Amino acid sequence: MRSKALALGLLCIAAAAGPANAQPAAPTEIKIGALYASSGPYASISMPVFDGFKLWVDQVNASGGAEVKAFGKKIPIKLIAYDDQSSTATAATLYNQLITQDHVDLLVADSGSVLTSVGVPIAKEHKQFLFDVSGTGAAFFTDDNPYIALMADPVSTIWPHYISDYLADEGAKQGIKTVAILYSTNDFTGTQAAALKGFFERDGKVKVVYYQGVPTSTSNYTVLINNIAALNPDAVLELGYVGNDIAFLRNLQDSGSQFRFVFTIYAGTEKEEIEKNVGISAMTNIFSYVPASNYEYTPNFGMNLTEFHDAWLKKYPVGSNVAFGANAVYGYMAGLVIDRTLASTKSLDQMDIHDAVFGLSGQLKTLDSTFVLRKDGAQIGEVTPLGQLQPAGGKEELDLVAVYPPDLAKGKAVLGK
Amino acid sequence: MPDTASEARNRLIRRVVLDTCIAAAVVIGMGVMRGVYSNELMLFNFVVFLALAQGLNIIYGFTGYLPFGYVGFYGAGAYGFSLVVMHLHVPAMVGMAAAAGAALVLAVILLPLLRLSGAYFAIASMAAAQAVYEIVANPDLENITKGPYGVSLSDVFAPAFSYYTALAILAGTLLLVVWLRNSRFGMSLQAIRDDSVSAAMAGVSVVRGRTIAWLLSALVAGLVGGVFAWHISVFYPDTAFDLSVSIFSTVFLLFGGATTLCGPLLGVFILYGIYNVIGIAVPQYFQFTYGALIVLLVLFLPNGLVSLLTSRGIRVP
Repeated sequence: MRSKALALGLLCIAAAAGPANAQPAAPTEIKIGALYASSGPYASISMPVFDGFKLWVDQVNASGGAEVKAFGKKIPIKLIAYDDQSSTATAATLYNQLITQDHVDLLVADSGSVLTSVGVPIAKEHKQFLFDVSGTGAAFFTDDNPYIALMADPVSTIWPHYISDYLADEGAKQGIKTVAILYSTNDFTGTQAAALKGFFERDGKVKVVYYQGVPTSTSNYTVLINNIAALNPDAVLELGYVGNDIAFLRNLQDSGSQFRFVFTIYAGTEKEEIEKNVGISAMTNIFSYVPASNYEYTPNFGMNLTEFHDAWLKKYPVGSNVAFGANAVYGYMAGLVIDRTLASTKSLDQMDIHDAVFGLSGQLKTLDSTFVLRKDGAQIGEVTPLGQLQPAGGKEELDLVAVYPPDLAKGKAVLGK
Repeated sequence: MPDTASEARNRLIRRVVLDTCIAAAVVIGMGVMRGVYSNELMLFNFVVFLALAQGLNIIYGFTGYLPFGYVGFYGAGAYGFSLVVMHLHVPAMVGMAAAAGAALVLAVILLPLLRLSGAYFAIASMAAAQAVYEIVANPDLENITKGPYGVSLSDVFAPAFSYYTALAILAGTLLLVVWLRNSRFGMSLQAIRDDSVSAAMAGVSVVRGRTIAWLLSALVAGLVGGVFAWHISVFYPDTAFDLSVSIFSTVFLLFGGATTLCGPLLGVFILYGIYNVIGIAVPQYFQFTYGALIVLLVLFLPNGLVSLLTSRGIRVP
């Protein structure tokens, strides 16, 4: 009888102690689900991001896998990626597929706001943390949704403030008094245009004489440029995606119109791609953002820009039709955040993943500058200095030179006459 | 032996019961699938296209008008729902009523299009849908429609409730088609489709018949658009007015066979099934496979899959 009671007591103790001591078995692989667009209007921004992300996956797997703190060992990454072909309907189905059928451990969104948008409510509904690579739509980040964080781009309203600061400061001193803003009507560029207009109106030094939105599908800017030229503004800001910038710069050159200050987003952000399509002469002295692919930040984790560029060229040699640019950095950056997240998360539970990602805020410095998250998941750490594409010392090349703000400037801006 | 009135009535009752059973099986099957297969959005899209193909069936199958711009009603429904939910903060079911209202208002505005026919009608309806899209996506209307920047309806996001609402809309649409196939009004519509002059001579009100079919078809698309907005909750005008919604619905309808209940169902289950299998596994082969299927269909089965049976004198529900 006593031995039975003892056995029962031991069983109870074992049962009580069991769950506390139980270590979940380590998975044989960490499944990361991702979407990309190989065709359609978003392919030009999606593919470099995806290629940059794959570069990180290959590097990690070549080293034996990602260090996962929860299991105290390296575990290989399995990338499950689907092609949404730039369709939001397909993307929505595929986000669901990754969560509900493939049961991925980590979910990475496609590039840009439009293809990310459908993933936000789906991830929230399934309580799956969404690694939002470059979807900057303001509506994605709300205090009631802990299942999202922006990896690489800063939110759209942060991007353009150096443009208005420069024009109101240096530009006004050099006689810039009027500005035309032509933008594509999508979340990314529309938000920037509205922010810029607000900055100019607030500062009161430069007058907005033209403010026009056009569909993102616009491929001919000839009439719009003529309309702008008729108002004779000192500065012209064209805010669009890669295809818009290519069409705008081509049409601007063909029109013969000259403005003292011309800005486009992707002349600098995707310099290689734009250069290939419009040629050097159409880009000379154009202003643009200086993305991380053109500015050396000092990382405390991962490759620096030079090492990354070398690794990129090794994996995607010149002529392989994969352009190097800011989006390539964004893809790799998303990989670095995931790397550090796995190295610090308590488990693969999605709220632990959330805590680990937010724990990196302000601590992680990469080739894409400092990773800082607002509490709603929006990225606010990156800066976007104003740059200008200037001839590189007599060679048939252009350098993207940071010209503003003064503490980040590497050269002086040249304004047209 | 000649049919008696009671035999004819019994035959009609048998047909209605059979058609209703098929409709019920589809609706119940899609409801059960939600508990079996967890990719709910894929199932939801099936329900959406099942209802849209039947909605298109009402106007094309029964009157011969093929509106390429059918997506205009779908988009109007999506934005009708979104606007009242965003601005008036009403419950989702009130939003659904607004979706229906928006589609019906648009259908009334576009009634003069019924004076056109054939390719002219198809193209004019597509232009009308594009015009509505341009209005909704106009950045100057950002304060009202959110312009091109998309709407977010996270306050009413309820995937399960909206899924079952979509099923209810599908059930209603299927019953509507069952009624049209077995009612005097449905027969009069088919008479108008085959020869409107003869139908008018026989006392059928052509204008009234076409108008009712047009409004019913728009109502279905508007309700489906509304429930789409509710279910997906974050979307852009490009998504709500995506021409591929019209194209897919039309192809599914033609593939299966118009004027029947089963034709559009078969079209959606087969083609949208293939779309999902190929689109996920090998998207690069999707357009080739889809294109080849449609070419084969047009060449060998211009009246859809159901014509394999109907050409042999077999009635297809």
